[in-house]
Amino acid sequence: MKPIIKSENIIKKYRMGSQVVPVLKGIDLNIYPGETLCILGTSGSGKTTFLNLAAGLERPTKGRIIIEGYNLNKISEKNMAAFRRKYIGFVFQLYNLLPALTALENAVLPLIFEGVPSREREKKGRELLKQMGLGNRLRHKPGELSGGQRQRVSIARALINNPRIIFADEPTGNLDSKTTVEILKLLTDTVRENGQTMLLVTHDDKVAGYADRIVHMVDGNIYNGNAN
Amino acid sequence: MRKRDIVLMAYNNLWRRKARTVLTCLGVLIGTASIIVMLSIGIGFKQTMERDMARWGSLNIIRIHPGMSYDEYGNPSGEEHRLNDDTVSELKNIPGVVAVSPAFQVHGEARLGRKNGWLDIVGVDLDTLEDLEFSVSDGRLPTAEERFTIVAGSQVINNFWDERASRMGGFHQGPPPEQDPSELLNQRISVSIFNQSNPEKRKNYNFMVVGILDEKNMEHAWQVFGSLDDIKRIHEFMVKESSGSGAASSGGMITMSRVVPMEKSVSSKRRSKMEDTRNDYNFILVRTKDVAQTKKVSAELRERGYNAYSMADSLEGIEKISKTIQAVLGGIGSITLFVAFIGITNTMIMSIYERTREIGIMKVIGASFADVKALFLAEASLIGLIGGALGLAFSYLVSAIINEITAEYMQSGMMGAGPPGNISVIPVWLAAFAVVFAILIGLGSGLYPANRAIKLSPIVAIRNE
Repeated sequence: MKPIIKSENIIKKYRMGSQVVPVLKGIDLNIYPGETLCILGTSGSGKTTFLNLAAGLERPTKGRIIIEGYNLNKISEKNMAAFRRKYIGFVFQLYNLLPALTALENAVLPLIFEGVPSREREKKGRELLKQMGLGNRLRHKPGELSGGQRQRVSIARALINNPRIIFADEPTGNLDSKTTVEILKLLTDTVRENGQTMLLVTHDDKVAGYADRIVHMVDGNIYNGNAN
Repeated sequence: MRKRDIVLMAYNNLWRRKARTVLTCLGVLIGTASIIVMLSIGIGFKQTMERDMARWGSLNIIRIHPGMSYDEYGNPSGEEHRLNDDTVSELKNIPGVVAVSPAFQVHGEARLGRKNGWLDIVGVDLDTLEDLEFSVSDGRLPTAEERFTIVAGSQVINNFWDERASRMGGFHQGPPPEQDPSELLNQRISVSIFNQSNPEKRKNYNFMVVGILDEKNMEHAWQVFGSLDDIKRIHEFMVKESSGSGAASSGGMITMSRVVPMEKSVSSKRRSKMEDTRNDYNFILVRTKDVAQTKKVSAELRERGYNAYSMADSLEGIEKISKTIQAVLGGIGSITLFVAFIGITNTMIMSIYERTREIGIMKVIGASFADVKALFLAEASLIGLIGGALGLAFSYLVSAIINEITAEYMQSGMMGAGPPGNISVIPVWLAAFAVVFAILIGLGSGLYPANRAIKLSPIVAIRNE
């Protein structure tokens, strides 16, 4: 099967003063359509950096990442926003909702940037939030929602324009264990139902257990991954 | 992103930071208002001056009298022109000229019922009356079909006094009391005209007053106006050489004029002096399209040698002064607006610092450079729009207060100087310009912050801190 995300010898170094710190030391990783892959690693292992590179938020020092046949190195920063909007949905640890907008507005934000008419996107957002169990929280601002509810809004936002790929960075890092289970079930179930591919990044074994496949990241190297 | 969404989002963002938005808008408000009010005073000054001048003669009319035109060094310019029908058709062909009327002017003793007085009568081409900006407050204008009908200036009635009444009243001090101009309407005025060369010869003419001129133009206030043909005949009688004692004095002119055709070599300038000019028009009125044309045509006529004058000629100095005043006042106003400009920039930069994370999130989620830029520019422009619109409203208030105060002051200071003009005038173009300018100021001040927002790295925004 052809991988949907293909990482070829990714090297990423940061300059810290006079020192150059290698964060990723040559990552080769294929992610296949429809699978939920978990990158498991401790803090500082480089897993979030890899996610940022895969999302086109940062450029690798060396190597390339190919998503759906597009070489991210070749996409200009200007066009990257449109690329992300089309192919990738994000779920963050800190939800990253806009505090001024309601749950509904937050959920449909990617559609606003897409230029979808308000009636159409609100209908879509309402349906999706209902599916997330937030049918009665549409007009609430993030500050009026619990952590679990916020993360549901955030998941709805990631799914709203039906991207092929979902990136989830410690999606349950700020939630209690009961909510963690709920959110993970919701997230993995929806992604599977939609046939989407998910890259899940966490340090938590229990969370990793929800993935189809787990790779370990230690000090900028990938282990246990069937790289090819 | 849709325009509507950009504006809505920008509006909501401003609304979130009420205090800061209000304060920034206040800066724009004061800036806009100070520019508008300052300029409105300059405009009001100019309008007041123009209106005052227009009371003493229309700004669209040029008067041409016989004689030469001289330049500022006292040298004659062009050649002297006679005021006859050739001249009239020459004038009619000048671009920018709307109407031309030759005029004869005669005067004589007059009687109005029991009242005695005198009358200054001007004969003009009655078809051009409306073009020459004659308008009545009472009655109507005379028409070319009628004979010996006149329209009288608003002050003509004060040329007449009742001798018996003043005798009966015994002594009276000061000027006679003002009389109602409409008293003249539909009255018959009888005028006796003397022959210039023989004062013994006189003729009586009866005129019917069919209308009273309004008081807009004080230049016409003391005269009556009738048909050119009627007054021409009276004028002919007035200047005709009589066979009486006066013949000797003017006879020479006529003899000389008869010599003219034979002396072809004489320069036209000399010849015109020798010609019989007694039946030439007394003056010619030229109406032009607008003030600008008046100035142009008037200057051109002087260059050709005509003794031409227009009220509009004096306007230039006034315009220069008012332009200087406007520049100074506008300069003061624009300093305030410049401060407001800095204020908006500052506010927007602050807001970028606060919203670093938010901007990052939007970028990660798929906001393009253009979207982010549009959002910030929209916010800055909205501040400009709100501040500008409120500033405009505030300017109208300030303008009204200024006019109220100065009107009171002027009324107490200059009695009977006519209705005082507004010292502060806000024309529609100024209002529109100010609001558009305020929006542009907002837009301009948002450029730098917007470009900074674009450059923010999205990663910083989404770090789990």
